[in-house]
Amino acid sequence: MSQGLNYEFLIDTFFVALSGISITLLVTVISLIIALPLGFLLAITRINRIPVIQRIAQIYVSFVRGTPIIIQIFIIYSSIPLILKAFFDKYNIQLDIYKINPIWYALIIFSFSTTALLIEVFRSALGTVKKEQLEAAYSVGLTTFQAYRRIIIQQVLVVALPNLCTTTVNLIKATSLGYAMSLPEITLNAKVAANMGYNYVEAYLDIFIIYLILCMAVEYIFKVLEKRLSKYKMANA
Amino acid sequence: MLEIKDVHKSFNKNTILKGVNLSIDKGDVVVILGPSGSGKTTLLRCINFLEKADQGHASFGDIKVDLHQAKKKEIHAIRQKVAFVFQNYNLFTNKTALENVTEGLIIGRKIPRDEAIMRGKQALDKVGLSEKYNAYPIELSGGQQQRVGIARAVALNPDIILFDEPTSALDPELVGEVLSVMKAIAKEEGTTMLVVTHEISFAKEVANRVIFMDDGVVVEEGSPHEILVTPKEERTIRFLKRVIPKDYIYQI
Repeated sequence: MSQGLNYEFLIDTFFVALSGISITLLVTVISLIIALPLGFLLAITRINRIPVIQRIAQIYVSFVRGTPIIIQIFIIYSSIPLILKAFFDKYNIQLDIYKINPIWYALIIFSFSTTALLIEVFRSALGTVKKEQLEAAYSVGLTTFQAYRRIIIQQVLVVALPNLCTTTVNLIKATSLGYAMSLPEITLNAKVAANMGYNYVEAYLDIFIIYLILCMAVEYIFKVLEKRLSKYKMANA
Repeated sequence: MLEIKDVHKSFNKNTILKGVNLSIDKGDVVVILGPSGSGKTTLLRCINFLEKADQGHASFGDIKVDLHQAKKKEIHAIRQKVAFVFQNYNLFTNKTALENVTEGLIIGRKIPRDEAIMRGKQALDKVGLSEKYNAYPIELSGGQQQRVGIARAVALNPDIILFDEPTSALDPELVGEVLSVMKAIAKEEGTTMLVVTHEISFAKEVANRVIFMDDGVVVEEGSPHEILVTPKEERTIRFLKRVIPKDYIYQI
């Protein structure tokens, strides 16, 4: 007999799924912390045409952009243990590679793919900051590092923020693929709960709501940030 | 105080500077005149290492450098002595007028914040922008922006200020306010200046030496009277005829 939604399960599972939010956020935040500076530096190599590195960055970007994340996950999740195993065997390290927490794989994959996306975000943002800003900084006695820290990065961030928001939201959603490597984030938690009583609709509804709220919150934070950082652009004459 | 010797610079196959010599004493106001493309701006940029000269030497007081092979440290040391005013102002767009002025003091020169702010306000007062401390560049007119640019240079208390066509990007009615600020700084503060400009009147009234450049070399130099009223070189005469209206009579 067909029934309506199992509300009790819906509510219980909401909290089960919600308990995965810490893993989702952890993977998102750490991936961003790794990818932001790395993407920025590689974007600079692209802008300044630094010979070998910019070419590598270019190939790296098209590699990541040209493949689905789920495939990147499959490749890294299945190949890294083999490489590690060979390495450990060779040097006689007693470590069970199958006991490595999947969060490490998740961090590798998501920082790897986010870095590539951010190279492009920062590359276009860097293009909007005129080189005269750097020259002016030099002329008042700032070093290149100081000029970037005090002048260039602040201007780049304002331009990049809308795209950074998109990248962050996409990253949050992409971490849901972590279930493929048993990462106990929001999606996996809900799916495991659903498996027991086949209450998939309720579980998916929970996930849906959690991601929606999470992404809306992130978008709101970015909006506030953008407003604050770009006050020098909106000033009234 | 500042001596430049034998500066050469080309961009790809385009030779811009073909051995320029220049010597400036403390308190001098030197104006460089010349047709566009003669290398005036490039010379200024080479002095401040915004362009790397292909060849040439400079000495700033006791510092001597090879303009082609200067080390980062030497470049940094010289930029501490030389300030630059840009044609397009180049204010930091994300900083207020006051922050534009104090940035080089606090970050570049490590001057305590309070003192830097005081010096910054004094510099802005000097250029007549006491009301605009907290305005962002986007809120200022071109003339006001350039005055902030001048305040930014003056506040650094440099040995010399390089002006790269400071009024060329301005609407005609705003040129006067910038020139009078420059004049005041030259006369009242005795600041050493090297000015690339097309404003003949500024050269006439403020400079104590005028240099005429053409095609990458110094053609002629002397007092404003010598260059503007009794030029000797054919190229100088031709240039002045072009830029000075016929009925304009010079009186010095």
